[in-house]
Amino acid sequence: MNSLAEYFHTDWAAMTVSDWIGTILTVVIFVLMVVVYFQVFRPKNRDRLEARKYIPFEDDNEFNGDKDGGK
Amino acid sequence: MESGLEQKYNLDVVRWFTIMAVVYLVVGASIGVYIASELAWPFLNFDSPYISFGRLRPLHTNAVIFAFGGCTLMATAFYTVQRTCGVRLWSDKIAWFVFWGWNAVILLAVITLPLGLTESKEYAELEWPVDILIAVVWVAFTFNFIMTIATRKSSHIYVSNWFFLGMMVMIVYLHVVNSLAIPVGLFKSYSLFSGVQDAMIQWWWGHNAVGFYLTAGFLGIMYYFVPKQAGRPIYSYRLSVIHFWALMFGYVWLGAHHLQYTALPDWTGSLGAAVSIAMIIPSWGGAVNGMMTLSGAWDRLRTDYILRFLIMALAFYAMSTFEGPVMAIKTVNALSHYTDWTIGHVHSGALGWVAGISIGAIYHLMTRLYHTEMFSERLVNFHFWTATIGTVVYITAMWVSGIMQGLMWRAYDEYGTLAYTFVESVDAMHPYYAMRAVGGAIFLTGAIVMLFNVLMTVRKSANAGSLAAARNVPAAA
Repeated sequence: MNSLAEYFHTDWAAMTVSDWIGTILTVVIFVLMVVVYFQVFRPKNRDRLEARKYIPFEDDNEFNGDKDGGK
Repeated sequence: MESGLEQKYNLDVVRWFTIMAVVYLVVGASIGVYIASELAWPFLNFDSPYISFGRLRPLHTNAVIFAFGGCTLMATAFYTVQRTCGVRLWSDKIAWFVFWGWNAVILLAVITLPLGLTESKEYAELEWPVDILIAVVWVAFTFNFIMTIATRKSSHIYVSNWFFLGMMVMIVYLHVVNSLAIPVGLFKSYSLFSGVQDAMIQWWWGHNAVGFYLTAGFLGIMYYFVPKQAGRPIYSYRLSVIHFWALMFGYVWLGAHHLQYTALPDWTGSLGAAVSIAMIIPSWGGAVNGMMTLSGAWDRLRTDYILRFLIMALAFYAMSTFEGPVMAIKTVNALSHYTDWTIGHVHSGALGWVAGISIGAIYHLMTRLYHTEMFSERLVNFHFWTATIGTVVYITAMWVSGIMQGLMWRAYDEYGTLAYTFVESVDAMHPYYAMRAVGGAIFLTGAIVMLFNVLMTVRKSANAGSLAAARNVPAAA
């Protein structure tokens, strides 16, 4: 057995419930992260997501006469 | 004047949190300068246990992190959630409970820590009755924030609120677990955990206090106040989404890098270091996103002193989120751990990033909350330079001191014995400890000037009647 295989060797029989919960959660969250990256960088979603950057300026029009020009 | 703003939103509680944040900045920095001076000139202990370094140091960290940082987070979170959701805070009563409750926690810290009443957990020193009060107040803060979002008029929850909410939820979890203890008296308790498990829980909390409280919360501030002060939307909303989720996923793994070369299993430290390196990507993505908001309008930095604070803070954020992962690598950690390099790293984040973004946001808030310009723009500029120069002097002193310490501790002579005694290394630190105290004093000078400028702005608003006038204008339709 080469050293790399030794490094990644796992004694599955020794895995406790906590180990399994941690492993499953980690893998699930990793997959969800990949989904988030895919969705965010998908060209189809660009305009919809970028439109949200104007939210901080949305209530400015409501307060007319703001000396700071609605900043 | 922003007509209707005062009628629509609860800005009173924001005003009080904002003013108290500035007061606590001066208090916390003053204690910091004093204890830094104690290390340089130990006679300043005056043989009194109440003002010794060991008791005042946690008071300093609690004052700057939880008093100044907490009040800043609560002011900005309550302000941002109202303005981005288009609705008033869900409950004014809960908001005021949070204000008085949080200040009661700070008062109890001021009383108990100099008396030596402590759980001895870093950044979580307060004894169990205060821990319970912190949990109750923080949950009330979180609940009011969530309910305000739940009643919002906007279709989407702006990314600042994601960061604030991520911080709130994680701090509840972290604080409660880390504070689990068995009380043996009103002011004495013992951790529920022991040995290396206790150390791991401590640094799981410790690094996530940095990651979620001092990073995610203040990124919530950045994503609202940088665009508002610049008058331009954030450079990339998509990048901010990635920044948020990567931060939430990554930060919880890092705590183990504080325990390299200890009884903790070796692989946990390696994992902590590996994910620390990976975290450079989202951290720099967020910093670049904030800075690029000024793309095409960099000239604003010449005239807008508040914007200078915000952008300089992002530069320090980028720097410290690179330095931290480097220090987590085992080879570097062997040199840096237990030295002043760590103190320098913490303060490049705390003074440069956290205080910088907070100060910028507070100046921005002052003009909106009191419906007038700052009393003195020149004093804001003076503050910017004192804060920047003070921070640079501080962290440079600690870098030199820390690396020298590490090298002296591990130097061997030709016979294999230590080349220096520990006392020799302490003696070699003295010039840098004096330099650190000077850097802190420069930073403190700026904070005092800020407090003066803020109080004079309140007075200016009162004399001109601008706040009273804003309160009396009819509400917008």
